[in-house]
Amino acid sequence: MFHSSVLHRISLMAAKPHRVHSWTCSLQGSAKRARTMTSESSMKDAFGRYAEYLNDLNDKRERVVKASRDVTINSKKVIFQVHRVGKHNREEVLEKAEKDLASVTGQYMSRLVRELQGTDFWKLRRAYTPGVQEYVEAATFCKFCKTGTLLNLDEINATLLPLSDPSFEPLQINVLDYILGLADLTGELMRLAIGRISEGELEFAEKICRFARDIYRELTLLVPHMDDSSDMKTKMDTMLQSVIKIENACFSVHVRGSEYIPLTGSIDSSSFLLDMPDNEL
Amino acid sequence: MRPAFKNAYFNLSKSLNPNPKIPIFFPLHAFLPLPTFQSPTFRFGSGSFRTPSPSSVSLCSSSMAGGGEAQAPTSSPSLEKQFEDFRVQLQESGSLRERIRAVVMEIESTTRLMYASLLLVHQSRPTPELLEKAKAQIGVLKELYNRLAEVLRECDGQYYRYHGDWRSETQTVVSLLAFMHWLETGSLLMHSEAEEKLGLNNSGFGLDIEDYLVGLCFMSNELPRYVVNQVTAGDYDCPRKVLKFLTDLHAAFRMLNLRNDFLRKKFDGMKYDLRRVEEVYYDVKIRGLTANGDPIGEQGNHGES
Repeated sequence: MFHSSVLHRISLMAAKPHRVHSWTCSLQGSAKRARTMTSESSMKDAFGRYAEYLNDLNDKRERVVKASRDVTINSKKVIFQVHRVGKHNREEVLEKAEKDLASVTGQYMSRLVRELQGTDFWKLRRAYTPGVQEYVEAATFCKFCKTGTLLNLDEINATLLPLSDPSFEPLQINVLDYILGLADLTGELMRLAIGRISEGELEFAEKICRFARDIYRELTLLVPHMDDSSDMKTKMDTMLQSVIKIENACFSVHVRGSEYIPLTGSIDSSSFLLDMPDNEL
Repeated sequence: MRPAFKNAYFNLSKSLNPNPKIPIFFPLHAFLPLPTFQSPTFRFGSGSFRTPSPSSVSLCSSSMAGGGEAQAPTSSPSLEKQFEDFRVQLQESGSLRERIRAVVMEIESTTRLMYASLLLVHQSRPTPELLEKAKAQIGVLKELYNRLAEVLRECDGQYYRYHGDWRSETQTVVSLLAFMHWLETGSLLMHSEAEEKLGLNNSGFGLDIEDYLVGLCFMSNELPRYVVNQVTAGDYDCPRKVLKFLTDLHAAFRMLNLRNDFLRKKFDGMKYDLRRVEEVYYDVKIRGLTANGDPIGEQGNHGES
């Protein structure tokens, strides 16, 4: 019975290219000697194939990491561009931001399409997730400043469809990266809100506050079900801090009302503070 | 969340009251209502991740999302809808993970049985009966991996999303299979052979090559101990065979370009196994304890190193 299983194995091995093995096997102290004729070279053949597999995989991983880094850096530039928005230049700033975002999509996200076909999409996720998260952050930030609404996952994925020609599966952001990117958005919203308050745009700040609260509330329910649940928990803590900072800032403005002093910047003619004596500032 | 809540109170009172000498007291309930975080009791499921469309609740559908709604209205119902869909998807994914875990636990306990049977090879010279007992578990494993493949079939293309859930168990399985294969045939179990034994196939639910390679490293870890015990049990030819095998294996591994990851670490361990086997081999050889009738040629020559 034992030998028949060996023979079975032999017939399987015969299916391999250019090697035919003959085996005689024994287990304990019998006169026959175990002879493995070409085992060493078949080992080398097999490992040659494994080496090729690993080389290809690691090269691809490197390409994905590089593309992801490019996406990260350039998405950050988009975010910084959006932060330059002010009372009087909102249109131009946001227009440039959108253009920059489109070029991130076309130049850098596109490099990921080819690499992430098939099972590589999930296999290499750790390599590209930081870039994709940053990209989601930038895109949602832009959209919010433009329209006050949240860019949905479907919408952002629709913009990625044209990137690939029909022979490729399109790159579609998965729900986990979207949620993680969204979690980082609140940090930028907080900076934006504080900045807007300093420039006297109180209504905008309150809008940001409501939006940030909504995101926090919606994401709360998703935390334990995320694949990377502990990452998410940390992000949620940070998010709450951001939301609270926004709320505190809005609260201060609200309570102080006419006493409110912009922290920096322009005292324009509409400022009610022009006549304030210095010692009360 | 309690620490965050305390922070909130502290931060707010600081920002409103620049002069800390005058305390401000706020009724705590006037603050943002923080939810109490209890472990959720609802079940979870997965959804389509590659092409999410809010209307599709089907598991991992491969249909293309045609872009969904053009412009999301400012009202929050659409916001809520998206997140509700996410919640459903993630719940499904969670339940999938639970099903995976259930099968993997069975794989782990079957592997343990196999390992326990195989441990007997250290106590005496290996016999066919001994190996039969361990080999019987292979059929069980094959069936379990089949079940795992079934569970994953619902989620095409997401093998690597959940791969971590069965990675280390599979590595152990490969190491045992390879060890048994070597005991029976004196040769190395190839990746394709391992796949075939477990009823896996490359196009569906396959055996990851890195898992296979790590499994081989684990097998190598067993060999020094095996060799020592075989010599004690009277098999003086064993060290020569093991040494040749491990030398070849180590040389084959050196063909690989590895990253500084777990596989590399395990491979680094292999050279210590090789050294220990070499030491046993020389101990035996120097004392002229080689197997009778084996044309080693140095029998009786002392002082050879």
